[in-house]
Amino acid sequence: MEPSRRIAHLDMDAFYASVELLRYPELKGQAVVVGGRGSQAPVLQADGAHVFARLRDYVGRGVLTTSTYEARALGVFSGMGTMKAARLAPDAVILPVDFESYRHYSQRFKAAVAAIAPAIEDRGIDEIYIDLSTIQEDSLTLAKRIKAAVWEATGLTCSIGITPNKLLSKISSDLEKPDGITILDWQDIPARIWPLPAKKINGIGPKAAEKLAALGIGTIGELADTAPEVLQQHFGYNFAAWLHDAAHGIDTRPVATHSEPKSISRETTFDRDLHAKQDKSSLSEIFTSLCTHVSQDLKRQGYQGRTIGIKLRYDDFQTVTRDYGLPRPTDNPALIRKAAGECLKRVALEKRIRLLGVRIGNLSQAGVPELTDEHCQTELPF
Amino acid sequence: MLLFKGPRDQFLSPLQAVCGIVEKRHTLPILSNVLVEKNGERLTLLATDIEIQITTHAPTMGDDHIAMTVGARKLQDILRSLPESAEVTLSLDDKRLQLKAGKSRFNLQTLPPDDFPRMAVSDGNPTQLRLTQNCMKRLLALVQYSMAQQDIRYYLNGLLLVVKGNEIRVVATDGHRLAYASEILPDTPAPIEVIIPRKTIIELSRQLNDTDEPLEISLAPTQARFNFGTIELVSKLIEGKFPDYERVIPQHHAKIIKLNRDSFVRSLQRAAILTNEKFRGVRIVLGEGSLKIISSNAEQEEAQEELEVEYSGDTLDVGFNVTYLLDVLNNVSNETIELHLADANSSALFVLPGNDTFKYVVMPMRI
Repeated sequence: MEPSRRIAHLDMDAFYASVELLRYPELKGQAVVVGGRGSQAPVLQADGAHVFARLRDYVGRGVLTTSTYEARALGVFSGMGTMKAARLAPDAVILPVDFESYRHYSQRFKAAVAAIAPAIEDRGIDEIYIDLSTIQEDSLTLAKRIKAAVWEATGLTCSIGITPNKLLSKISSDLEKPDGITILDWQDIPARIWPLPAKKINGIGPKAAEKLAALGIGTIGELADTAPEVLQQHFGYNFAAWLHDAAHGIDTRPVATHSEPKSISRETTFDRDLHAKQDKSSLSEIFTSLCTHVSQDLKRQGYQGRTIGIKLRYDDFQTVTRDYGLPRPTDNPALIRKAAGECLKRVALEKRIRLLGVRIGNLSQAGVPELTDEHCQTELPF
Repeated sequence: MLLFKGPRDQFLSPLQAVCGIVEKRHTLPILSNVLVEKNGERLTLLATDIEIQITTHAPTMGDDHIAMTVGARKLQDILRSLPESAEVTLSLDDKRLQLKAGKSRFNLQTLPPDDFPRMAVSDGNPTQLRLTQNCMKRLLALVQYSMAQQDIRYYLNGLLLVVKGNEIRVVATDGHRLAYASEILPDTPAPIEVIIPRKTIIELSRQLNDTDEPLEISLAPTQARFNFGTIELVSKLIEGKFPDYERVIPQHHAKIIKLNRDSFVRSLQRAAILTNEKFRGVRIVLGEGSLKIISSNAEQEEAQEELEVEYSGDTLDVGFNVTYLLDVLNNVSNETIELHLADANSSALFVLPGNDTFKYVVMPMRI
């Protein structure tokens, strides 16, 4: 049995949509989706009211970033093609994505939690794990206090799951959404966890779930009842062992309060597919701006990278990547652009391009000189 | 349709001359092929990687016109593995290449010659140079090891060729060291400066022979052509501004010593054994009448070499990457070389005594 820990998973409720509702409170209670472009920005009237774009007027090929609970009730979920969403909920309001604001609120809610419980693992813009093991307070009081602090700092609600590990907490935070608190211990697993579908376990994706279903395993309980030897006949040894542990609520992963990014990247899907020759200037402009953004991300996070990569998706969804190694780490946008340009020379450019991405990897912290021959060897003074 | 009939090497030699530049993997499949064209008694072989194109000729017989492209590597491998004395027959039947030699038979697929990319001849009035093959081969050997490799400063991944007055100059640098060599031309062509890609230089230097047979170079702003023997090599050029090489060649380094090249090389090679594998740094300590070479590695093992030199002046202790020192010493042939030094932060200059046609500048290492 693992030593007794108390881990929380905190998930912001419909985060992007909720941030938008802070700005446009008049939309509360309506079906709202986020995923538009700048052209879908609300227009401010002389009387101070906003005129909002509606899904039915949407033409394009974006996907939804998120939707309010009211929109979800109409069958519209994040990741859905916007045109498809428009057929399901033509009257829903569509708002453009505004990552700057989301990042701002993300920082605020994390800072508020950190003031109460500093052992935080950042899991992205709208969720965190918190290690509460060393705090004396009882779980319910603590959960209420954290939720209140988040509300105080942002005006937004969140859902919290508190259990002995990350796996169970991740499942639990979803059980009472939105604005919920779920506190589980080992003895609650059969009643609260086992009836859930197996795909609720973070790590069992659609493919594994389908394979399990074919074996007659639908719920986590059924998975827990399946002998590891049986699972090993259908899955890899390690995955089978993990499935068995997970179904029994076993997870020893620590809360990783400090993590180094492996790479930093930016990518964009074009409004329409672009051609390397006919759309040379706009492609080049987008390419440069991706490199500039990657450079800004590096500088903000204090990293430099040595491996520049590009990602290209063609109109037939074939995706190719190419890498270029630099002699030394950089965060310079011009050098990144040049290296990315070298990568671009090595891909076929006959087909139209749907998506372009720039990534920088092999990261090191800026300002920490790496002891290589490049640093000892001096340069010719050209 | 008969393409060629004759001794193996009569076809293999020209084939090998053009196929050195064929890339193993390429986005365009036809580029792994070689174009073989028969025009009466003249056989033309052509290979390209889009950046460089090499053409050569071989004699054959008959008066018909046939052309096709075939996998360069496979054809070479087959010919090479046949006995040297083999009589080879190549013919084209229903778009397949038949190769016969003794009791061996090979049947290869071909691709249509019209799909094969050829480089357009650059218009304009190119600068024409005439020199001997061995002269150019020597010039390239003096500098090409200093070219950068896959440097982000793409203009360093090649060789700067300058025509100025009646002089041809070649310069290569990777940012840490720079090699320069020049030669007097028999005439005075129009001045020009071009950067020739690394791959072209390596191929050219491989193909030039050690004779005084003529080499014609024609340089246009975006293209260089080299004609020698039966070979024509056409290459794209690197666009960009090469750094000002004259600025970094020191003029006034006061500590000048003469060294026997061979003894210097041997001492450096021995000292190199105990350098740190990654940094390869050696200390050069110049004092009254002596030059010491000192190295040590991560395990605190140490080496010291001492050479007698004619020197009387201040002591100097300066670090260098031993590879950069050995590179120059292994690529010049003089018995004696001259080393010019200033201080621990300044470059070292290597020259050949009584000769200002060769210069090698290397920056120090902080050890």
